[in-house]
Amino acid sequence: MTTIDTVNSKHPILKKRVQQTINYTVIIMGAIVMIMPFVWMILSAFKSADEILKMPIQWLPEVWNFINFKRAMEVQPILRQLFNTSLLAVIKIFGEVFVSAAVAFGFARFKFKGKDFLFMLLLATLMLPYEVTMIPTFILWSFLGLTDSYVPLTLPAYFGAPAFIFFLRMYFETFSKDLEESAMIDGASWFAIFWRIFIPIGKPALITIGLWAFMGTWNDLLGQLIYIQSPSKYTVQLGLESFSSLSGETLWGPLMAASTMALLPIIFLLIMAQKYFMEGIKTSGIKG
Amino acid sequence: MEKLKEKSIELIIIYKRKQLCLGFFETSRNILENVDINFIKVYYKVINALGGIPMKKIWLIMTTLVLSITLIGCNNQEEEGVYSLATWAAGTELSELQEIVDEVNEEAEGEFEIKINSIPSNYYQQIAVLMGARQAPDMFWLTQEIVPKYAHDLGALADISDNLEDSEKLNLDDYYEGVIESTYYDGSYWGLPWISNPLVVYYNQDLFDQAGVEAPSETDDWDWNEFIDKAEALTGETNHNGDDVYGTVIDGWPNLETFLWSGGGDVIADDYETIVLDSEASINGLDNLHEMITKGITPRYGIVDSLGGNNVWFERQQAAMFMGGVQDDFEEKIERMDEEDKFELGYAPMPTNLDGSKSSFNWTASTVLHKSNEDDPLAYEAMEALTLKIFDWKIAPPVKDSTDKIIDSNPDKEAMIPTIEHTLQFARSGHYIPEWDGTSGINDRLWYDLYLQMLRDEDFDYVSAAEDIADFSRDLIGERE
Amino acid sequence: MKRSRVGFLFILPWLIGLILFTTFPLIAALFIGFTDWNIAGNANWVGFDNYIELFGEDAFWNAMWVTFRYAIVAIPMTTITALVVAIVLAKDMRGAGIFRVIFYMPAVVSGAAVAIIFKWILDANFGLLNGFLELFGINGPDWLGDPSWVFPSYLILALWGAGSGLFIFLAAIKDIPRSLYESAIIDGASVFQQATRITMPLVTPIIFYSLVMGIIGAFRKFTDAFILGGAGDQGEFVMVYLYDLAFADYQMGKATALAWILFMIILTLTVILNVSKKYWVHTE
Repeated sequence: MTTIDTVNSKHPILKKRVQQTINYTVIIMGAIVMIMPFVWMILSAFKSADEILKMPIQWLPEVWNFINFKRAMEVQPILRQLFNTSLLAVIKIFGEVFVSAAVAFGFARFKFKGKDFLFMLLLATLMLPYEVTMIPTFILWSFLGLTDSYVPLTLPAYFGAPAFIFFLRMYFETFSKDLEESAMIDGASWFAIFWRIFIPIGKPALITIGLWAFMGTWNDLLGQLIYIQSPSKYTVQLGLESFSSLSGETLWGPLMAASTMALLPIIFLLIMAQKYFMEGIKTSGIKG
Repeated sequence: MEKLKEKSIELIIIYKRKQLCLGFFETSRNILENVDINFIKVYYKVINALGGIPMKKIWLIMTTLVLSITLIGCNNQEEEGVYSLATWAAGTELSELQEIVDEVNEEAEGEFEIKINSIPSNYYQQIAVLMGARQAPDMFWLTQEIVPKYAHDLGALADISDNLEDSEKLNLDDYYEGVIESTYYDGSYWGLPWISNPLVVYYNQDLFDQAGVEAPSETDDWDWNEFIDKAEALTGETNHNGDDVYGTVIDGWPNLETFLWSGGGDVIADDYETIVLDSEASINGLDNLHEMITKGITPRYGIVDSLGGNNVWFERQQAAMFMGGVQDDFEEKIERMDEEDKFELGYAPMPTNLDGSKSSFNWTASTVLHKSNEDDPLAYEAMEALTLKIFDWKIAPPVKDSTDKIIDSNPDKEAMIPTIEHTLQFARSGHYIPEWDGTSGINDRLWYDLYLQMLRDEDFDYVSAAEDIADFSRDLIGERE
Repeated sequence: MKRSRVGFLFILPWLIGLILFTTFPLIAALFIGFTDWNIAGNANWVGFDNYIELFGEDAFWNAMWVTFRYAIVAIPMTTITALVVAIVLAKDMRGAGIFRVIFYMPAVVSGAAVAIIFKWILDANFGLLNGFLELFGINGPDWLGDPSWVFPSYLILALWGAGSGLFIFLAAIKDIPRSLYESAIIDGASVFQQATRITMPLVTPIIFYSLVMGIIGAFRKFTDAFILGGAGDQGEFVMVYLYDLAFADYQMGKATALAWILFMIILTLTVILNVSKKYWVHTE
């Protein structure tokens, strides 16, 4: 018999401990790898430009100066940008999550003519690189006179987001058929079934989607670059880009400081999302 | 099918008469008039094959609608006299620029107005998007290497040769020859340079004294052999921190042209047509570079980044000389250093080339006018006024007799004035052609296949590489339609 | 109301959005691919020339190879990693919450910041990775500067961001009823057997989704490849090539044609995957 078999059969508690230790070690090592770049970035926010660019990498700054943060806020109204981006994100998330859920519900639980074709069409829209439709889309929006606003970035969200629809459809399809049957017997309308049953049970997935939607908005430098011109409407990504220039130097210190400030809301959001996510899973109960 | 096409062309003509958005028309009309009938047949066949009846109808209606929108769609109600200026300036640079623009607008007293459009990243991409949507900015900034492409390949720029010649405020002669050359291509001038940032040699007087080497003078000419001799004598010294000292730093900066010119050669000759990368003079220049690398007067390529950048070596007194732009702010940095780290800064012009000519690579950027404004004298006036104001802001202004401006805007550069003036006489840009930039452009090849290899490998056969790239470039030019 | 009508109503918002926002750009893009538009000037019809020229360019095939190779290796790799990590973190171990956040974080940071950070990490002489390897006495290679090591560099980058699949796998795993596991344990199944016989099959819908999105993502990979590059064209993914065609060479017509080629490729792969669905994806 091998050691593991021995351990398994003779010492159940030991086996559990060993397994736990292995789990923990692996996870901790993985976590360190994941987190290192961030640690470096945050520490760099306190360094001078030379120290940041130095190699071999210098971890701790010689002097912990806060001047980078001050400088960063002078160069760009970071707080304002954080607010702008959050506003933009919230508006988008709302639309994307709920409308996508509704559309996914339609695809998942109903049959109608042309359904497969339409779904393939949906997938197809995901596959086309944006560069291709970028200019014509811009033309479309400037024809409507809506450039330099948040409209091109938010309005489409209220018509669903294909990636999310795709995902939620798969998710809803795994729900048992009985769910609707019992509600229909009680005479509930389809919308009520959707809103009162599928949405609550699907909370973990919705939170995931919400998180993705938020990330998508937060990181969407390109879209924001194309459609936002006035500095007062600038988002975080645009602000970060302003720290480097074609005719000058990159302000590394303030850039790291600004990036750190931009990172904090995300981490906060992740922690919250994670918590609700796990809660949602616990309460979702029987799904089939 | 035919009817559809005809109808659309009708629509185009109607709207053309109404003078709406000509740019779109040419494009759409071209497409519609030249589209092979077969394509349209295939297109409609495909539509037929997909989905059921309702889909087909919807799709056909959509297509027609869309084509019509293409023809009407245009939003260029520009106000008279308001000109947009696209720039990559952002952050502090942007606020400074905004101040300047405000002043210009004030002085214009309502005749024209300039509006800034700041593009903090992906600058050329955004310009392309705007151009593609026929919403190109009236004026925008361009760096020198890309001017030929915009002027020749894209036809996006207004030819301002006449304006320059006739102008009283800012005339062709006011510019240093080497600078205005950067916006010259194919017989015309395409933009107004607003900055001239040529190379000079900064040096550390303290280290020179320590090694007992005579420092170069601020305006007298010295040649590359002297440069190498001095660098050699300085390499191997130790500075006050105990670090090794090198003569200078070469890590891809200065650019390759500087070394080609040092032998009297170049990449492309004066006629903007002949490739001379593999000429004897150019090879002499490359020999020069090779000599410097093999003599060890510069730190190895791989370790330059270890201090955070090539300039840091000079700042930390680990390099005695540094070939930097006039704009570099060493004076300021030295001011902020601890007492024991400070050193005396000296200036000298770039060494004379082996064939007796003098040159110093000049980084310039220009404001250009979009082609649509070619016949609008007011637009040129606005651009001119803007450029004149920028001369008060950036170092160094590219026009003659403006050294007092430098002192006003950057007082700590005062000691450098003699060298700056001297250098501006012979500062020049490279000769750029449309094939310079872009994927597998000449510039990329010069770096990856020649310069970088030379820096990494002392035994690299740079002569063959130069010949290869030269042939490659000739092919590119030959492929030009 | 008939059930099918209701279904159609539910998907209507998406359909309307499609018609409003996507039709014009799509049709325009279709036409542009048949022209020689250089953005600044006019577009002249050239038929299939763009496509023919593309197939004749070395750079095109190189880009295809780089991207395909990456897709084939990176997608399964990241999916499996995310799945495994999710299985481990699905248990309520201490600090699981924090770990979940940590593993997910890399996926959250924008591509540009990641790319810059990794540029330092992968530096040949002084990067973090080689410094780490030195601790073990290994002399790390020139990651981005040596053509043969560029591909592994991108795999490392992909692994680092593998956590993005974490939450969806977690959701799926958590949905599996405990009862199934309990009866398995009673029957004497090991942890490994539980994972392979219960967890994995029930998670196949999510795996399917991951694979499809992974394929789409790999072929559309852009931001980090654009910044990091890689010696000798080994970092020239298809999208980078396309971007350069469009905005460095100003050959918008050709770039658009390339995009349609890409589209067909992704479509084909997805259809294949979709067809295979009934053989291995579990549905109620």
